Amino acid sequence: MGRWRTVGSVIRFEKTTVSYPGPGAPALDEVSINVDKGEFVFLVGASGSGKSTALKLVMREMRPTSGRVYVAGKEINRLAAWKVPRLRRQIGTVFQDFRLLSTKSVSENVAFALQVIGRSGRDIRKTVPETLELVGLADKGNRMPDELSGGEQQRVAIARAMVNDPMILVADEPTGNLDPATSVGILTLFEHINASGTTVLMATHDHGVVDRMRKRVIELDHGTVVRDEASGAYGFEH
Amino acid sequence: MQLRHVSTNLRQGLRRNLSMHAAVILTLFVSLSLAGIGIMFSKQADLTAEAIGNELQISVTLCVPNESDFPQCVAEVTPEQEAAIIAAIKENPEARSYEVISKEEGFEKIKELGVIDEKQLEGDNPIFTAADVPKTIRITLKDPDEYAGVVSAIQNLDGVRDITTARELVGPVFATIDAIKWAAWGAAAILVLAAVMLVANTIRLAALARRKEIEIMRLVGASRIFIALPFVLEALFNAIVGVALAAGALAAFTRWGIIKGIDPKFDGFPFVGWPEWGYTVAVLAVVGPLLTIIPTLLLTRKYLRF
Repeated sequence: MGRWRTVGSVIRFEKTTVSYPGPGAPALDEVSINVDKGEFVFLVGASGSGKSTALKLVMREMRPTSGRVYVAGKEINRLAAWKVPRLRRQIGTVFQDFRLLSTKSVSENVAFALQVIGRSGRDIRKTVPETLELVGLADKGNRMPDELSGGEQQRVAIARAMVNDPMILVADEPTGNLDPATSVGILTLFEHINASGTTVLMATHDHGVVDRMRKRVIELDHGTVVRDEASGAYGFEH
Repeated sequence: MQLRHVSTNLRQGLRRNLSMHAAVILTLFVSLSLAGIGIMFSKQADLTAEAIGNELQISVTLCVPNESDFPQCVAEVTPEQEAAIIAAIKENPEARSYEVISKEEGFEKIKELGVIDEKQLEGDNPIFTAADVPKTIRITLKDPDEYAGVVSAIQNLDGVRDITTARELVGPVFATIDAIKWAAWGAAAILVLAAVMLVANTIRLAALARRKEIEIMRLVGASRIFIALPFVLEALFNAIVGVALAAGALAAFTRWGIIKGIDPKFDGFPFVGWPEWGYTVAVLAVVGPLLTIIPTLLLTRKYLRF
């Protein structure tokens, strides 16, 4: 694999296999995927299809058993452990359960992501309000997470993921805990983020949002890619 | 790096796990105090050996004239006799080393012991002078049990007044010092083990309490050092407090137990004091933080899933 092959591509799986200890089929079986810069990609499939494993590889939470994975131009298998934090600063992550710190206010939750990577107080004071404005929570910076609705909490999580201006936004079932109307709002926000150049990779079970957005859909089934459509729906269209 | 963030985390961490940190500090305090007592007794053994010789040594006193108790000594030992004695020591395989203590040095040692009032050794009419003190050769053996060969090789040489083995005299003193030293070190070792296990438990609990925070830190790209820093600082804090308490306890032991306790009862005999206390505290100041920081660094890798 030459460096040129990663140019333009921000996530690339090459015959990637992940096997967990014990018997059973691999979680991912020789999967090859390429996601270019600025793309919006839905990763769909039933539970156990390998979506979460694929996202963990992108976040370098794990390494492949065989094959190669490139994220932001780095081969994660060969990436030294001390370089992993730097890679993760280029990836924003959003989860179904929001993962907000209940003892910190909205602003503090967002600022936390910058504090722990050593950004200056001045930088933080400038960036946090801008990011809260981006997600539509400019007036709720002093609220505590438990004073917000589910949708608002997810917006805080998105603000935290975006505050460091990452190259990639990885979302694992971000609408799983939200009602359909709120989900639409979150997806609109993702669309807006994507339009500004951030690559979005979103694993979801939510038929509604996938069908509505008509973005690229990669479907996994038992660890293999069974569908990769440039403008797809959640299920096969017959 | 955000110092305020780190210091806030440190405060929160200490408050969150207060009882556990108190347990670590108290265990460290007791174990370091006992280890300190072990070190001070070790120093005491050195001082005792310096003052009265150790059980590995035998002392060969050379002749001075006019000593009725030692009829073989009719005159001062001659340089030739002394050379022959030293040659016999050098040839003996059981002798590791030897040290010649001159008349003047012997005289000074007598003065240092303080058994005789110094005024009686000065002035126009001293009770004795350096010239009256016999020259001695202190031989250090390879094995204290093997003194008979050296004694028999030297005792009949011309110029030898008498030979004393320190073994019978100082053996029980060293045995007592050693017993206290090893008992203190043994107890300290057990307590150090307890302290290390408490440190491990504290980290496990703290990692559990902060798992969400740590998870977010990892995901947003905080460095390992930044994630581990609050744990390391907590460990350092515990160690500093533990060492400070142990230093205080040892200072009380030195002042009330030794300087104002045992020392006045054995006038002239050297006992450990503030210099040895300083040395001991310096050792503990290095050992204490290592005892907490090394397990912390090892265990944060395990519990924080870097």
